Amino acid sequence: MRSDEREVLRAWLGGDARALDVLSDRELAELHDALVAAKKRQARALAAASEAALAQMPASLRGSIGKLLER
Amino acid sequence: MGRDLASAAELVKLAGALGTTPERVTFAAALDRDAIRQLRQRVVDALYDEHRAVFQRVAAITGVLPTPLNVRITLRAFSPLLAARVAGEMPPDRAAELANRMPVSYLAEGCVHLDPRRAGPLISRIDPERVLAVVRELVRRGEFITLGRLLDVASERVVRDVAAVVCDEALLRIGLYAESDARLTRAVAVLPAERLRGIVACALAGPSDLRSAGLALIGRLDDDRLRGRLADYAAEADDETLTTLLRTAIDDGAVGELLTAVAAMSPHAQRRVLALPALAEPDVRRHLAKAAATHPLRTRLATLLAPDGSY
Repeated sequence: MRSDEREVLRAWLGGDARALDVLSDRELAELHDALVAAKKRQARALAAASEAALAQMPASLRGSIGKLLER
Repeated sequence: MGRDLASAAELVKLAGALGTTPERVTFAAALDRDAIRQLRQRVVDALYDEHRAVFQRVAAITGVLPTPLNVRITLRAFSPLLAARVAGEMPPDRAAELANRMPVSYLAEGCVHLDPRRAGPLISRIDPERVLAVVRELVRRGEFITLGRLLDVASERVVRDVAAVVCDEALLRIGLYAESDARLTRAVAVLPAERLRGIVACALAGPSDLRSAGLALIGRLDDDRLRGRLADYAAEADDETLTTLLRTAIDDGAVGELLTAVAAMSPHAQRRVLALPALAEPDVRRHLAKAAATHPLRTRLATLLAPDGSY
């Protein structure tokens, strides 16, 4: 695994996560990829949900709530 | 199940947290149970933290909209996963008000994604009948991992109510995935004796994975007297059933749990199970001796297994 991936995992999981000390470079690279994939899935779902939620709101609220959601 | 049963269950839970299959998390197989659990909790935290600001903003918006509109928007726009994330950022009273108006199937799906560490105050505020309905739905879907995780935040009353409406097999499978040994022990302790006897009988009569779940349950209890009671119930079974349990323990790497159970039995029950003819087989003796050598109760086990020092 690349050293920056190890640092990313350290930032995401906390420096005291025991997995970082025990797992091999290859295993940590797989963990990194799995976590990146999960984050991407969640981001896509959240973006889609925000759009759909705005569409359900009364028109008078849509603009201000859209700003709150940063869309 | 391979390796130790509790670690295998933790790997399944880690896969769920990452939204993948157990086969895709074998990278964590070198970790022990507690390290896998810690990794899973850190993964859940990392996923929450990634979009936490948005979850908080959505939670804040629900405070200015009427409840019926919040329910409508949630059901039409938010997947149960995202609703569960947002619920974790809402005041529990408001989240419960919404939950009490949502369909049971939606709540059940949301529970799959709920972090029990954040959801305890919410669950305790939801109408108890609705909680039971959601539990029934989760059992129907076979979501025993979710139910095991939620056991940590269930009150004794909820445990009793759930036990009254859920079959023995479901209780065994829920126990396999309980988060904390102490909480699992408290949940088992509130069940009446006849129910416990039924659960043990169910494990013994069931397929291999159910026998393993029973062994894992006994191994995880942190009350020796309670463990002894369950183990004594098991010792009432016939030779064939006990031999099948012994072979399951060997096949599934659960000999340690089996020995823990034997050590907790009454002397009468110990004499009965240690007289099993299968214990004389060299291969069986080898497995027992190997597990006993590293067992926390090895001194006591050595006396039990071979008073003449032959093990």
